[in-house]
Amino acid sequence: MAADKKPDFSDVRSGSSSTAPDSRPASTSRRTYTVVAGDSLSKIAKRTYGDANRWRVIYELNKDIIKNPDLIYPGQVLTLPDA
Amino acid sequence: MRAPHISRFAFAGAVLLAAGCGKKDDATDVIPPPPAATVAFRVTSVDLGKSITADKMIANSTDDFAPGDTVYVSVATEGTSPGAAIKARFTFQDGQVVEESTQTVAPTGPARTEFHIVKPSGWPEGKYKVEITVDGALAGSKDFEVKRG
Repeated sequence: MAADKKPDFSDVRSGSSSTAPDSRPASTSRRTYTVVAGDSLSKIAKRTYGDANRWRVIYELNKDIIKNPDLIYPGQVLTLPDA
Repeated sequence: MRAPHISRFAFAGAVLLAAGCGKKDDATDVIPPPPAATVAFRVTSVDLGKSITADKMIANSTDDFAPGDTVYVSVATEGTSPGAAIKARFTFQDGQVVEESTQTVAPTGPARTEFHIVKPSGWPEGKYKVEITVDGALAGSKDFEVKRG
């Protein structure tokens, strides 16, 4: 049933910016991490913070680019909060 | 014989009262300035196009795109907010969510926020919609279409 096949939007990339200041506190320091093949949020959390359960913090901070926390893609640039 | 005196005093008193009232009226001519008005944060326009300027305005407004185009949406706002979450939700004609992106801002006056989406493998032809919400409340929407040249 090829006619019923829905278009695939999984490779859509997005971005945003504003002339208004960001509301996040300036004191909150963040860094970025580029996803590589084989990564998962819990692996990144374990490697970065020593605690795999902190994957949710990473997910919450990157909800704008992660649709499904079980699916992250090589090349995605994630924002990581400092421990 | 006293009545005329009384009426003279009454007249003088009335004149004084009137003068006093006039003085009071003069004093109220100085109107204090109104307190600084705070404009509630709101979306004033939503524009679509293929590129934006440095101040986040759409350079060439259109609602027709080609499969290889980057789709920009520029959201103009006014007012102040300590933190407003502006969200752009792009959907395809079949209801499928194409992309959602949120920008949290703390504007102190008129501002513009842009969202853009790109699909390296090309947009499927069809009709799309972008809905703009502020803190979860719908603030505007635009329809657009992707067609092959």
